Amino acid sequence: MNGLERIEKVFRMEEVDRIPWVPFVGVHGGKLVGVDAEEYLKSADRVVDGISKAVELYQPDGIPVVFDLQIEAEILGCKLVWSKENPPAVVSHPLADGVELSSLSLPEKSDGRFPIVLEATRELREKYPDVALYGLITGPFTLALHLLGTEIFMKLFEDPDYVNELMDFCTQVGIKHSEMLLDAGCDVIAVVDPMTSQIDPMSFETFVSPYVSQIFDFVRAKKKYSSFFVCGHAQQNIEVMFDCRPDNISIDENIPLDYVKEIALKKGISFGGNLKLTSVLLLGNELDSKKEAVDCLDLGGTKGFILAPGCDLPMDTPIANLQAVSEQVHNEYARQVTREMEHVSSLEPLNLEGHWVEGKVIVDIITLDSASCAPCQYMVEAVRKAASGFAGNVEVNEHKIKDVDGIRMMMALGVQNVPTTCINGKAEFISQIPRKSEIVKAIKNVMGR
Amino acid sequence: MSDILSKLSDCIEFGKINLASPFPPQMKEQEGADELTAKALAQGINPQDVLTQGLMPGMERVGVKFRENKVFVPQVLMSAKAMGTAMLHLKPHFLSGAAKQKGTFIIGTVLGDLHDIGKNLVAMMVEGSGYKVIDLGTDVDAAKFIAALRENPGAVVGLSALLTTTMVNMEKITQEIKQALPDTLVTIGGAPVNNDFCNKIGADNYSSDPQGVVEFLNTKVA
Ligand code: B12
Repeated sequence: MNGLERIEKVFRMEEVDRIPWVPFVGVHGGKLVGVDAEEYLKSADRVVDGISKAVELYQPDGIPVVFDLQIEAEILGCKLVWSKENPPAVVSHPLADGVELSSLSLPEKSDGRFPIVLEATRELREKYPDVALYGLITGPFTLALHLLGTEIFMKLFEDPDYVNELMDFCTQVGIKHSEMLLDAGCDVIAVVDPMTSQIDPMSFETFVSPYVSQIFDFVRAKKKYSSFFVCGHAQQNIEVMFDCRPDNISIDENIPLDYVKEIALKKGISFGGNLKLTSVLLLGNELDSKKEAVDCLDLGGTKGFILAPGCDLPMDTPIANLQAVSEQVHNEYARQVTREMEHVSSLEPLNLEGHWVEGKVIVDIITLDSASCAPCQYMVEAVRKAASGFAGNVEVNEHKIKDVDGIRMMMALGVQNVPTTCINGKAEFISQIPRKSEIVKAIKNVMGR
Repeated sequence: MSDILSKLSDCIEFGKINLASPFPPQMKEQEGADELTAKALAQGINPQDVLTQGLMPGMERVGVKFRENKVFVPQVLMSAKAMGTAMLHLKPHFLSGAAKQKGTFIIGTVLGDLHDIGKNLVAMMVEGSGYKVIDLGTDVDAAKFIAALRENPGAVVGLSALLTTTMVNMEKITQEIKQALPDTLVTIGGAPVNNDFCNKIGADNYSSDPQGVVEFLNTKVA
């Protein structure tokens, strides 16, 4: 089963072999190829390189092509301010500055930065036929805010007819953009509408539901899939969002995953989320990221769930943290290890005094438990075989991290991955099962010293 | 409390601006904050009482409902608009010294950050609670805050930041303010900010919502 198939199955609420993962790489792609956000978002080549790098590093099942909610607004006349480490920001609102709504026309393929996005989509499609490509569009309410400014909130009450007209226009823009993205090769249309987090369910049903539903219906008619990204604290609207019938809803970190799961399963619609972007992925370390990933995976479960960050990844998110998440997705043992590490912060490393013996080589193997973890078992067997050739001069110890002392030993040796083999305290073989000859060589090396 | 002031409170709470305003539906064709404030003053009610017994209780009730997720940004903005309309009638009295404000609050979104919805709500709530508010807008650097402080000695400063990338600027601005005018109280807020961050950068208070800032100001200033 490849990534695209896996994601399509989740959208259809069918069984999958493992939970798929979709890192929302936006300007983070710029970091991966060493350019700032502006240069990145203005070049199809940079985007292709950035996403390619992300595919290679994070082994995702699906990935967005471009994550920038200002593309349509820019074309429709909003001024943008660019920054180095964030997507650009809209700083002017044409409809608030006297432009008539009736004078705006639907954008064309050749407008603004559409050609960049479409070109990048076509190239990535060619390069990665097995990865689900997400085409992002600005949700109609967020686009309406770009065009009109925060005045829109008061217009909901003071001039609802105008808001309806504006929402209709923004929806047509979204449908047209979706069509371009699908034609260029996207598999999924993600409607990203963070502004809806600021309104109540009744306003949502009145001014948002009738419009976004049209976009989801359009995508369905095209025989493709849709996802609704929340990006923000929108717990109050989750239920009405599901009622718009997207194929998936992806939620942000401030909404509890189990809450959404319950509604999703009841409604028979898939869901995704909600790795903590800032406190964990951006500011935490690898272990924090692993724990966060396992928590989400365990909570999300194997039916109708896609692992994803709460919203687009901050540019500077450490690569190692995202690789740590990817490892949890792909490796059952890695997940078990993470679960065992739950209590690490309350433990002290073991005191290694007396652990070393003059004239002897001490081999320590950190395992989950060689009885239940196949790679651990092979490593322990391989090392024991290799050591048997040295008579009594080599001592082999297995430390299972299912025991507290095993974890404390792991901490004392500074080991990060399981299984790892240390020779006289130095990590020699990490997560790989070496051949006997390599182990023998490594032991001899240490003896020679 | 007089009937007209309690009606005024309702107008603020439910965002009823004036007679012509269609919102909220249940108050259609009734007088709004605009008419009622003018009437109250014409009846000779003390402007101070109009503020503290009419407008402020209404604003506080929306603040609490907002904190409890019972209303959202649009409703609060309507309340704020109603409040703003009423304040137009009261401003001349404050300037003439006939009514007294509790203190001065200087607020702005920090350098590099353009988000202002949350900051505006805070500004409006604080104003609605009887303080003079100086809103420096968005993308504000330390020099501007310090200049405003020099013009308004003893004012409390509120900083807003919505981006992790501008939280660093919040730290710098706090430190520069404290260096230039060590007695200044700095209160911070915005979605990514929290109490730990507040302690770390040496600010005096963090509040997750406007009601919290008002409570802080009421204990420290009023
Ligand atoms: C609206 C919005 C915008 C609008 C802003 C319009 C405007 N005039 O403000 C626009 C579209 C322009 C915009 C632009 C950008 N945004 Co924006 N935006 C949002 C959004 C959807 C809502 C923010 C908001 O207004 N919330 C409502 C108010 C009421 O809440 P609040 O601001 O938190 O304020 C409350 C409290 O925090 C507190 N408070 C606030 N200030 C203060 C101050 C004091 C002193 C105190 C005590 C309390 C306090 O009281 C308020 C009321 O309760 C959020 C996502 C979300 N759904 O939350 C993203 C979000 C904040 N934006 C984000 C980003 C990345 C951007 C952009 C870089 C790119 C983009 N367009 O997406 C640009 C940056 C522009 C810039 N340089 O500043 C990210 C930030 C990620 C991060 N943590 O760094 C968010 C979280 C979205 C996301 N998940 O990616 N955005």
